[in-house]
Amino acid sequence: MNSDVLRRRGQNHQVGTNERLLQALAEQIKLPLLQIARRAELARLSSDTSLVESIELTADSALRLIDNYLLSTKLARVQNSLQLEPVSIAAVLNETAHELSKLAAQYECELELHLSGRYMPIMAHRAGLEAALTSLGYVFIEAQSIRSHKHRPVIKLAAHRSKYGIVAGMFADLEGLSRDMYQRGRGLYGHTPQPLTQLVSTSGVGVFVADSLLKTMSTRLRLAHHQKLSGLAATFTPTNQLSLVQ
Amino acid sequence: MAKVLLVEPDVLLGQTYSAALKQADHLVTWCQTAQQAIQTIDSKSPDIVILELQLAMHNGIEFLYEFRTYNDWQQVPVIVLSHVLPTLKAMSPVLWDHLHIAAYHYKPLTKLSELTRSVDRVLSNPPYVSQLA
Repeated sequence: MNSDVLRRRGQNHQVGTNERLLQALAEQIKLPLLQIARRAELARLSSDTSLVESIELTADSALRLIDNYLLSTKLARVQNSLQLEPVSIAAVLNETAHELSKLAAQYECELELHLSGRYMPIMAHRAGLEAALTSLGYVFIEAQSIRSHKHRPVIKLAAHRSKYGIVAGMFADLEGLSRDMYQRGRGLYGHTPQPLTQLVSTSGVGVFVADSLLKTMSTRLRLAHHQKLSGLAATFTPTNQLSLVQ
Repeated sequence: MAKVLLVEPDVLLGQTYSAALKQADHLVTWCQTAQQAIQTIDSKSPDIVILELQLAMHNGIEFLYEFRTYNDWQQVPVIVLSHVLPTLKAMSPVLWDHLHIAAYHYKPLTKLSELTRSVDRVLSNPPYVSQLA
């Protein structure tokens, strides 16, 4: 098989992935638009101006998710020439926690940052990594908000060392999150409105946007564990490279 | 005032629909999953159920089948308020009748005022008169 055929196959596969991701994104974006529309209607009916802040936050999160999707398609296009750089995982997790904190509060979840010890820089694309973790966070916040009425559910944004490198991702006490469920979801997203049915009632597109972003950094989202929690995380190669760490 | 059981997975929409129904003078119990709803029914004895079909874990159809197996709950009207289009084969008129769905609203196109009107209409009419909103 000549290289042209292989290249075209690769391009076709990428187009297929992008279409599926776009389909899942379209399904997902209906939810924040609906939240905005109904909250605006309620604000009008009840003259409750406190709803305006929540509407703004919903709109901001939806816009951020669209931006993350666009970044994933952009990075996928330039993947062969993508320059990875030494990135401080602690700084990225801090930024992500800051980014997600208001949404977590809105969904009545506790977001905790868990960094045990100091980590060497990892090779990654900083903006892409932040976008991946934020997108993943949206899904975990939604999944956790469904599961607990009595206790305020906790989501951990965490990193730890493994024999393969530094593992970073989102973790929670999520019944139903399994390797099988995630693999099935990866096969189904874009084809069904609810590929992660054991986890969330939406398309859970944040998981697939995150995976797509991480793929451009030569890593993938996988089922992982942190302390007694399960979650989705990626493994990164630490680097000794001496340079200004972003 | 009617006792409404709202089955809505999303926190923000659950809060919004609850607030609108309370404004319309109804007593609302809100559940996010089918399992929570089944566990709640006995203690709350709802006059009407508002149900999203697209739920995490067990879906709304599974909930309805379970709900309708209890004699006490066979007469309770159910309004579907869902992201699932009513034209999909999964929601055929046969299924509507079989599960005694009193009204079906496609969520993205249903305003709060329409929902509260539908609740009043269903409660004031005999159950099981199917109508597509």
